Amino acid sequence: MKCVIEGKNVKVFGRAVQALSRVGDELWLDPTVKGLALRSVSSAQSAYACFIFSPLFFQQYSLGGAPKQSSETVKCKLLLKSLLPLFRCLTSIERNVECCQISVSASSDWVVFQFFCRHGITKTHNLRFQEKEALQAEFASRLCRNVLKAPARLLGDVVMHFPLFQEEITLSTTPLRFSLRNYEDSSESQVKMMYTEMSLHPDEFEHFQVDVDSKITFCLKELKGFLSFTESHCLPVSVHFDSAGKPVCFSVEDLLFEATVVLATLTDPESTDSIQPAGTQVHATSRCVDVAALHVKTHRADEESASVNASPASSVICALLFKAVSSEQDDGVCAATPPVLAGDTDDEEMMEELCPRSPSP
Amino acid sequence: MPLSTQCQDDDKKYVLVASLDNARNLSNILKAITFKDHAIFTATSNGLQVTVEYCKTLQASAFIQTEIFQEFTIKEDLVAFQINLTVLLDCLNIFGGSPVAGTSTALQMCYKGYGYPLTLYLEEGGVVTVCKIKTQEPEELIDFDFCSTNVINQVILQSESLKEAFSELDMTSEVLTITMSPSRPYFRLSTFGNSGNAHYDYSKDSDMMEMFRCTKTQTNRYKMSLLKPSTKALALSCKVSVRTDNRGFLSLQYLIRNDDGQHSYVDFFCCPDEEGEEE
Repeated sequence: MKCVIEGKNVKVFGRAVQALSRVGDELWLDPTVKGLALRSVSSAQSAYACFIFSPLFFQQYSLGGAPKQSSETVKCKLLLKSLLPLFRCLTSIERNVECCQISVSASSDWVVFQFFCRHGITKTHNLRFQEKEALQAEFASRLCRNVLKAPARLLGDVVMHFPLFQEEITLSTTPLRFSLRNYEDSSESQVKMMYTEMSLHPDEFEHFQVDVDSKITFCLKELKGFLSFTESHCLPVSVHFDSAGKPVCFSVEDLLFEATVVLATLTDPESTDSIQPAGTQVHATSRCVDVAALHVKTHRADEESASVNASPASSVICALLFKAVSSEQDDGVCAATPPVLAGDTDDEEMMEELCPRSPSP
Repeated sequence: MPLSTQCQDDDKKYVLVASLDNARNLSNILKAITFKDHAIFTATSNGLQVTVEYCKTLQASAFIQTEIFQEFTIKEDLVAFQINLTVLLDCLNIFGGSPVAGTSTALQMCYKGYGYPLTLYLEEGGVVTVCKIKTQEPEELIDFDFCSTNVINQVILQSESLKEAFSELDMTSEVLTITMSPSRPYFRLSTFGNSGNAHYDYSKDSDMMEMFRCTKTQTNRYKMSLLKPSTKALALSCKVSVRTDNRGFLSLQYLIRNDDGQHSYVDFFCCPDEEGEEE
C-alpha cells in the first residue's frame, strides 16, 4: 500500500492519530479500496474509534500489488506510542511538512512514514508492525431509538466545563431536554464532590429525536479526544444511543473522511432517577472499564479476542453493527469478513438481567 | 554600571580582572555546557575559555573573547583554575534568573592567582553582592587532537533546522549515527529505537545548509547520552558547524549571538562509539 497526503491534510491525519491515542494503545491500519481505515480499541474494550479516509483525501492512494482482492494488501497493527511522536507537534507539521508518504509492503516488517519538509529536509520513520487482520466493531446505529445531531462546537463547548479529572459523565435526554452531568460513584464521599450539570434545549440541535427517555453514563476521555478532532473541522456530530447499557456512538462525516467513536455505557437496571446514594448499585465501582460492553475483536481468534469475561452471556452484551468498510449487510457474524462480532440484538433481555461483573466487595 | 571602583585598591594583586555590563553575556553561554559540576577556566589575552569534560569521551568548551568584556586585564600569559560551575552560575544569577526589561546585572570577576578564590562583584539596581568561590587545581584537559587538516567532512547548518530534529529524536535509541556524504543522503541523522528507526536527511541544496564540504562518505555512531548535552548549546545558537575527521571524531561548533549582537562559540568534541562498528 502506498499513499501520499499533501499539505494541510497531514495535520488532519495527525489529529486522527492523536484522537485514537486517547482511546487505545494500538492502532490497526487497514487499507482498502474504500479508503484507509485507522482503528483503535481501549484495553478494557469499552471504547472503539475508527477513522476512515477516503481515497479522495490523498494526493495519491494505491493499494499496490495486483489489483486483486485485499488479500494482497497488508493489514497491520502499530503501537500508538511509536506513531504518536511523529504527529505530536501539529503546528510544526503545518509549518514545515509539504507532504507525507505512508507505505507498507508485504515483503517487509515496516510501515514507512516519510515526511517531505521545507528546506530540503526529509524525515523517514520506519515503524515495525505486526501483521494483523482488521479490527472492526459493528454497531446497529439504525436500531438506536434516539438520534441527535449537534452543530460543530456544541458538544465540545458543553464538555469543556467539566473538570479535567472527570472520568465519566451522564447524558440524560427526554424529548424536551438534553443534559450532561458528571457521574459520581456513590461509594465515594459526596461531601467533597463538585456537581456540574449542563442542560440544552432541543432547539440547539440540528436534529433531535428522542423516542425513549434515557440516561446513559460513559467515559469522557475518549469522547474528548474525538471532539478535539471534530471541532477543528467544524462538522456536526451525530449521536446514536438508546437506553443504559447499550453503546453510544458519536460520528462525523465529510467528503474526505468519516470518524466514529463507540463507547460502552453503564448498565443501570434501577430506575433512572438521580444518582442513588445508597448501595443499591449493582456493581461496587461504576467505572466504564468494568463494563465489558463492546464486543470487538479481530478476525482470527487469537489472543486479541474479546474474551474479557469468561461468562458466555457477557460476550454478547452489546450488539454493535457498524457499516464501516465491510460491504456485508447483515448483522451477526459474517462468515467471510474479518470483523468481529457482535452478537445480535435478540439478546437484549439477557442484557437486562445481566449484572456486569465486579461483585460488590 | 562598571564596577571598576571595587577592585582599584587591589589592582596590583589581581592576575585577572574581567568586567561585563551584562552578566548574562557570560551566564547564558555557560548554561550551554553545564552538564557537569566542575569546569576548567583558562584565560589568555584572547579571552576566556571554560571547558567541561565527561568520561574522557566528550569535551565541551565555551569561548568568550576579550572583545565581549568591557574590561579584560590579564597579567600572565595563562591563568587557569578549576571551579564549580553550578555554584558559579548560581552566583551569576543571584539577582534572579529571569531578566527584567531594562535592567541587567553588572559583573566584575577578579582572581589573585593560584590558591585564591574567584571573587565576583555583582551589581543590580544599586545593590552589590560579593561572592568568593573556591578554586581548585585544574585537571589536565584531554587533547582530542582534532585539527582541520584531518577533517574529512564538514557542513554548516542554520540551527533552526537541527533544533527540531534534535527535539524529535527517538530517545529509546542508544546511538545516533551521523552520515555525511558527497552523494545522497548528503547529511543524515539516524536513530534506532524500540519501535523502529528514523532518519533525518538534509539535502546539500537545502537553504538551511550554509556550507557543504563532504569529500567522502562516512557514517559514524555516537552514544546518544553524549550528544544530549549539546542540545542546550544548540538551543542558544544560530548556526552550527558539524565536522568529522578521519578517526570518526565529531566536532560540533555552535555560534551564539548575545543580546548585544556579539558572537561567542561553544565547541563539543565527541568520540565515536566503538562497539559493534558494522554499519
